Amino acid sequence: MATSLPEEARRAADVIRRADIVIGIPSYNNERTIGHVVRAAYAGLAKYFPQLTAVVVNSDGGSTDGTQEAVLSARVEANSLMLLSTPLLAAHRLTFPYHGVPGKGSAFRLVFQMAEQLDAKVCAVVDSDLRSITPEWIDLLIRPVLFAGFDFVAPYYQRHKYDGTITNSIVYPLTRMLYGVSVRQPIGGEFGVSARLVKRYLERQDWETDVARFGIDIWMTTLALAEGYRVCQSFLGAKLHDAKDPGSDLSAMLQQVVGSVFNLMEEYSPVWQKGSGSTPAELFGFRFDVGLDPIHVNVHRMEDAFRRGCEELGEVWETVLEKKTLSAVRALAAGLGKNGNGLHLSDELWAEVVLEFACAYRRRSLARGMILRSLTPLYLARVASFVRDTENLVASQVEDKIEQLCLTFETFKPGLIARWNGNSGQSEASPVELGAVVSATNESKIGGEK
Amino acid sequence: MIEVMKKVLESAVDRLQFQITTYLPSLLAALTLVLGAYLTALFVRWLIYKIFKGLTIDKFLRQSGVAFLVDPSGRLRATRLAAESAYWCILLGGVLLGLNVFGTDLTTQIVQGFVFLLPKLFVAGLILLGGTWLGHYLGRSMLVWAVNENFPTPRRLATVVRILIMFVAVVVAADRLDFAKQVFLSAFIIIVGGVVLAGGLAIGLSGNGVRRFFEEKREQSRESNERSLWSHL
Repeated sequence: MATSLPEEARRAADVIRRADIVIGIPSYNNERTIGHVVRAAYAGLAKYFPQLTAVVVNSDGGSTDGTQEAVLSARVEANSLMLLSTPLLAAHRLTFPYHGVPGKGSAFRLVFQMAEQLDAKVCAVVDSDLRSITPEWIDLLIRPVLFAGFDFVAPYYQRHKYDGTITNSIVYPLTRMLYGVSVRQPIGGEFGVSARLVKRYLERQDWETDVARFGIDIWMTTLALAEGYRVCQSFLGAKLHDAKDPGSDLSAMLQQVVGSVFNLMEEYSPVWQKGSGSTPAELFGFRFDVGLDPIHVNVHRMEDAFRRGCEELGEVWETVLEKKTLSAVRALAAGLGKNGNGLHLSDELWAEVVLEFACAYRRRSLARGMILRSLTPLYLARVASFVRDTENLVASQVEDKIEQLCLTFETFKPGLIARWNGNSGQSEASPVELGAVVSATNESKIGGEK
Repeated sequence: MIEVMKKVLESAVDRLQFQITTYLPSLLAALTLVLGAYLTALFVRWLIYKIFKGLTIDKFLRQSGVAFLVDPSGRLRATRLAAESAYWCILLGGVLLGLNVFGTDLTTQIVQGFVFLLPKLFVAGLILLGGTWLGHYLGRSMLVWAVNENFPTPRRLATVVRILIMFVAVVVAADRLDFAKQVFLSAFIIIVGGVVLAGGLAIGLSGNGVRRFFEEKREQSRESNERSLWSHL
């Protein structure tokens, strides 16, 4: 299963021999933005770590648009940075195509292999489609590892209230409930990693699974949390970036991310079954408000997808969800649209749905891919409900709502443990408590957009 | 008269004696064999329940979906499956042995016929089970895919997939059993031909509709406002 460093990369590593810092930039057809990311990385290294040797590695997935040329041609004028100390050594810049399953995970693997080969003290990875990256990001991702003894630095962004819906509705609440540490952006995409954690990642044998694709981010975060590495967060400001993978559909993305969460849940079940509650991971960086890209959503389309799912996927959901949860879901669909009612999928019902899907995934009540894909209409219902509930709220109020969802997940943990271990595990909440009611909210103005 | 009656009675007693001496030992032997098989079956079943927890096989049954195929609640356990299979196999073996003791043409024919048919029955059963499993699996996959892709009539599509796969399984099983081979094969060819023809006609007649559906889908995926939501994890 282990893939060795490609020959081209090995030769480059032999020439460079050693580096204190490795910055990894995975890419695929990012010619438009990657030059900016490389310049920001260079400037960050020159400005904040002039005394250390560094390598910027672009791990490319076979771009055809000149991404690699953009990496090699990106220039930073040192004068414009107003440096207080001159860098002792210029940072190296390498670009290689990675091997293996196409995806971000495989790209990261090559970066980590390079970091290990070069005996780097710290490795940071940043996306190649970022438009808001600044040199400070490099400092914020690296400094906690180099000078504060942390092993894993997760990003903390300011995002639009409708941005990162998989994070907000599934990954963040679930990870926080399971591992007892609040990491707000567990699948953020930018990370700082210590040498010992890099070594641990490379020891793993599951690189060819969904980890090789969108599962990589949650895999890295979960491993760090579950195996007791020191984890912190750095406030990076706004994350503005191009569309991640316009070709990939939501269902596949959801499958890869949630599948990775559930797989890791299985692996680390002895770990997460021990604790309860959660504590926030230490947060570095200066917090400030920033303007964000607007995000438009079509609530009606999501509600239609949910209604359709309820009509058609009964036989699948029957094997996944418990009776009372399924009844609550069906009640929601039945009430949808009556008297202009919008969808309101309560926190309690959503938590039940996610946890029951996790248990069904564990006991393989159906093929796992099928279980995950059948979650899509329910997830859309949750997003639609969230959009309706928060359309008039400001960012801090939305954050409070997400916090409330996380606390709800945490209250369901004992029930999850019981169910996970094969006990009846029925939660004590009744269908009414589970939110089997359709709110009498008016038609959303946002939902009308098309 | 008395002499005649005496002779008749004597011959009747002789016949009875002959029949008893001929068949009773066989019957007793057969009963003993069946009883022995029954007791062995009981013991083996008890033994399997007792010592064979079947954890690995339980996992396999769950993973492969066989558990949910046989028992929709998914509570089928390998221990039970193995124990019950062993019980019925031993009992059936005992009955066949018991029949064989009589050594008559009829019983020999029955036993031989059954023994020769058994492997074919087993294989045909496996084919049907496999077909059912595959039909369920692919049918559900089609259902989930069609719902997520907003494809029209997902349940009908899933049913068509299930029926087609089950039908293929039945044709293959019938072929294994040499049972109405030609009938099933002809039916299979007619149905597959019909499906292809119907598909061709449907596409031909509703080509515009199909094209419109795919164009709409392409248009939807192009709409940048939706994509902006889904492309950010």
